Amino acid sequence: MTSSEVIFTDVSKFYGEVLGVNKVTLHIPSGITSLVGPNGSGKTTLMNLMTGLIRPGRGSISVLGISPSEPEKLMRVTGYATQFDSSPRWATGMEFVTTGLTLYGYSQSDARDRAWQALDQVGLTEAAERKVAGYSKGMRQRVRLAQAIAHDPKVLVLDEPLNGLDPLVRADTISLFRRYAAEGRHVILSSHVLQEVDLISDQVILISNGMIVAEGEIRGVRDEISEHPSQFIIRCRDASRIASLLFCEDHVTEIKMNDDRLGLLVLTRNREEFSRALTRIALAGHTIDSVIPSDESVDALYEYLIGGGRS
Amino acid sequence: MMAAISKVEVQQAWTIARSEMRRAFLSKRGLWVYLLALFPCAAFLLQGLQLKLMEERWSRNGLTSAQIVDSFTKGENVDAVLKRAPNPSSDHEWTDRRDEDEDRDRHERREGKQAPARREEPERRRVISYFDGQRKADLDFTNGVLQEKHVRRSRDFEQDRRIFAVIFQFFYLRLAIFFGCLGIFMNLFRGEMLDKTLHFWFLMPVRREVLLAGKYIAGLTAASVIFGGGALLGYAAVLWPHNGVEGQAFMAAVGWSHAFWYAAAAVLGCLGYGSVFLAAGLLLRNPIIPAAVILLWESINGFLPAVLQKLSVLYYLQSLCPEAAPMDENSPMLRLLLAPAAPASKSLAIVGLVAVTALVLWAASRAVRTIEINYSTE
Repeated sequence: MTSSEVIFTDVSKFYGEVLGVNKVTLHIPSGITSLVGPNGSGKTTLMNLMTGLIRPGRGSISVLGISPSEPEKLMRVTGYATQFDSSPRWATGMEFVTTGLTLYGYSQSDARDRAWQALDQVGLTEAAERKVAGYSKGMRQRVRLAQAIAHDPKVLVLDEPLNGLDPLVRADTISLFRRYAAEGRHVILSSHVLQEVDLISDQVILISNGMIVAEGEIRGVRDEISEHPSQFIIRCRDASRIASLLFCEDHVTEIKMNDDRLGLLVLTRNREEFSRALTRIALAGHTIDSVIPSDESVDALYEYLIGGGRS
Repeated sequence: MMAAISKVEVQQAWTIARSEMRRAFLSKRGLWVYLLALFPCAAFLLQGLQLKLMEERWSRNGLTSAQIVDSFTKGENVDAVLKRAPNPSSDHEWTDRRDEDEDRDRHERREGKQAPARREEPERRRVISYFDGQRKADLDFTNGVLQEKHVRRSRDFEQDRRIFAVIFQFFYLRLAIFFGCLGIFMNLFRGEMLDKTLHFWFLMPVRREVLLAGKYIAGLTAASVIFGGGALLGYAAVLWPHNGVEGQAFMAAVGWSHAFWYAAAAVLGCLGYGSVFLAAGLLLRNPIIPAAVILLWESINGFLPAVLQKLSVLYYLQSLCPEAAPMDENSPMLRLLLAPAAPASKSLAIVGLVAVTALVLWAASRAVRTIEINYSTE
């Protein structure tokens, strides 16, 4: 069976009596997908499950139609940069990547060329011939990333890939993810830095206590959260007049005036009605400079769906 | 079932084996394996060295002919002996005052008994030694008369070979190879779990069975070189002091064949024990438990009925040994309890070991497919 998605069907995983993930059903399309959740929520478990490092107690997983129990097929289309911060003692950065590539069937010279390209992409060519065991944490992070991308996988799974990277390499790495996504590949990553997730993700999967809390595009997920009114920041010259007009609308639940009286924070239960009301106000001759949704972010979703204690 | 391995997978297994050989040969955890493997060689080398030094010392005053050494008889006078053979390798003379008599007297006085009458005259004792190049004769004189004559060969090739056979079967096969394989093969998977590096291999496009094969080849190569080499070096160390006519004749007759079968037994021991400990490393976290169970089984094996004896790696390995280890003549109880099964033929022993290995590796290949990376529980 071929498929262009990563599919989890009713997957549960327990470590003895400890819950890993429970009854997870997911369809992850191509593009950049971020797994977001607190420590111990099950993000790494999901990644380990989809790469075959662990096996589900129940349910099934398919990565582009391949079962994770077939590493010989799966790992040809998948690269996984784990969070395990240890590497074989014998390996230099170059050997670490090259050994993997020779197992993909590349000749020694081709493997070295590819390894060099991958190390170049993560800015590690200068340290290529040094032992990985002597690398700094950030360098080890990068060499794992280099190994994951060296064979040009269709599915890139990355556990906290941006941890320990300096700003320049971080920017380069994000553009690499974007390039992969633009080429129709899957980039599935977990991150604690929600602003970053917000910036780069096409879709998010929010996970808490081993359960999927929400999944999909950020906007779509936000729309489904009806118990929390949507928040908009309006910049305008006549803020108090516009506030009084909006108060007449049933769907508006709260308005806060900015101290400079040139802006409003409006909470509404109906985004479409809110949009129509703003149109009416603008047509009535009131100047509205900008309307920005303030809670269409992973940060806000996290706050609404998972709550405090964010890690 | 274990699917057939394709050409690509053979290359993958070899790539893995090459990488893992460094680990198998040079693991810091496994350096003691070399000590085990080289112990017989070191012991025989030291013995040979000591022998050569002693012979050099004995022959410093020149050699005495074998005929003269044989001609000494009890009751002979010391002057007559020295006249025939004036250059002994050593000559010690002392007066025997019987210190032990004094000790006995002291003890009996303490017990309140009366001390027995003491010998009136002290004895003049003299030990003169001669060396004919192969035998050392110690002549024990009392008051100038030859009382005892002890002649022993300085080098006893047969005895050395018997000692080697005993060391090989009771130390090398039972302990050195057993624990060496435990160290090498358990480390292949369990060691990587402890180092938290096993995921590196699990994230490669390689069937787990191929990974198992690659690691097993690495472990087997390392163990075979270390223990097969150790056996050959030990055997060479036994032969080293006997490089005369006797040694050459032995090598021309059966020496090379013996060397081959000792090395073969060591390698096949690594093959059998290696597969067992590789499987144990996959199935169990604590190596002490399987090691203790297997060691117990192999140890009590000689006391079991013949049919059960055949269910041990050791039975087949001993069948391959070119010389049987002699049983202790002074332990009739042991002789009664031990009822060694008739040794298998060499071909049957090899087939038996290979069959046991294949069976264990098949079980290991089933186990490796279900292994999960869960370092936190290690």
